[in-house]
Amino acid sequence: MKNRGIYVGVLAAFTMLLLFSLGSGVWGGSDGVHWTEQLFMGVCHQLPDRTFTFMGERMAVNTRCFGIFLGLWIGWVVIPLFNDKIAEKKWPLFCLLFAGLLQIIDYSGNLFLLWENTNSSRFVLGTPLGFFSSLIIADLFQSK
Amino acid sequence: MEMEEVEQEASFNFNNYWPSVAIVGAIFSVVSFVIGLFFGYQQINAEPTGSFISPVMISSGVICLATAFAGLLTVWHYTKEVSPFIKLGQGALIGFFTGAVIVIFSAVLNEMWHLIDPSYTEKLIEATIANVEAMDLPADAKNDMVDAMAESMRSNSFFRQIFIGIPIPGLLNMATAMIGVKVFGKKEDEINF
Repeated sequence: MKNRGIYVGVLAAFTMLLLFSLGSGVWGGSDGVHWTEQLFMGVCHQLPDRTFTFMGERMAVNTRCFGIFLGLWIGWVVIPLFNDKIAEKKWPLFCLLFAGLLQIIDYSGNLFLLWENTNSSRFVLGTPLGFFSSLIIADLFQSK
Repeated sequence: MEMEEVEQEASFNFNNYWPSVAIVGAIFSVVSFVIGLFFGYQQINAEPTGSFISPVMISSGVICLATAFAGLLTVWHYTKEVSPFIKLGQGALIGFFTGAVIVIFSAVLNEMWHLIDPSYTEKLIEATIANVEAMDLPADAKNDMVDAMAESMRSNSFFRQIFIGIPIPGLLNMATAMIGVKVFGKKEDEINF
C-alpha cells in the first residue's frame, strides 16, 4: 500500500472525530457546554432537537453531521479493499457529486417547506456523502 | 535539466504553499464572516417566528458547507499558480493549515466587529432565544436549546475560538484537500518531456 503512514494517521484522526462526535455519553459530563460540543461549534449548528442521543446523553453534533462523520470513517476503513479497483474509474466521483446534490435537494426542500426531513433522513443522507468523500481518493493508496 | 526542475517542484518547501493557504483561507474567512453577519442582523431585526429555519440556522449550514471546501480550493490554487504536482501528504497538510487560517482570520474579524458594534452578540443571543421561545416545543426541550445557544455564544472568547476551533475545521479541510490532490494534482508519470 502506498502512503501507508498517511492512511494510518488519517484513520486515527477520523476515529477520534467519530468518537468526539458521540459527545458526553462517551466522554463523561462536564459543567455547562460539554467540551466535545465546543469542538464542533464552528462546523455544526448543534440544535438539540436535531441531535441523536447516545448512552442517554445528547451527541455533540446533529444527525446529518454524524452521518457524514460515520460515512467518512467507514469509507476510510474500506479503502484497502478498493484501492486497486477504482483507479481511472469515474463512478466514485459521480457518486460523491450525487450525494452532495442530495444534501442540497433535501436542505432546500425542507427550507422551502416542500417536505419536512427527519433526524433519520438527515443521518441516512449524510452517510453516503462522507463515505464517498473518503472512497474517492482510494486509488491514491494503490500499490505500485 | 527538465527532470531536475520536476524533482525540485515535487520537493516540499512550505514557502511555496503559504500564498495559496493564506489567500484561500482569507477569502473564505471573510466570506463566512460576512454571511454570518448578514444572517445575524437578519435574525436580530426579524420578529420571532418560532421556525426552526431561522437566519442563524441557515447561515451556520451555509458557512459549514462553504468553509469545508476551502482545502479543495487551496490545492486547486496551488496546482494552478505554483506547480501541478502535489503529493497526498502535502495536500493534507496544506488543507489542515487552510482550516486553521480560516478559524484564526474569522476570530480576528469577530473581535474587530465587537469594536464596531459591542452589543452585537447580546442582541443576537436575545433574538435567537426569542425565536426558540416562540417554537412549538415542550418546555424542557426549549430550555435545553436556550441554555445551549446562550452559553455557546457567550463562551466564544478569542483564544477559545482559535484553540478549540482549529482541530475539526482543520481535519475537514484536510479531507477536502486530499480530494483536491486527486482531482487537480498531476502524477509524475503524466509529465510530457
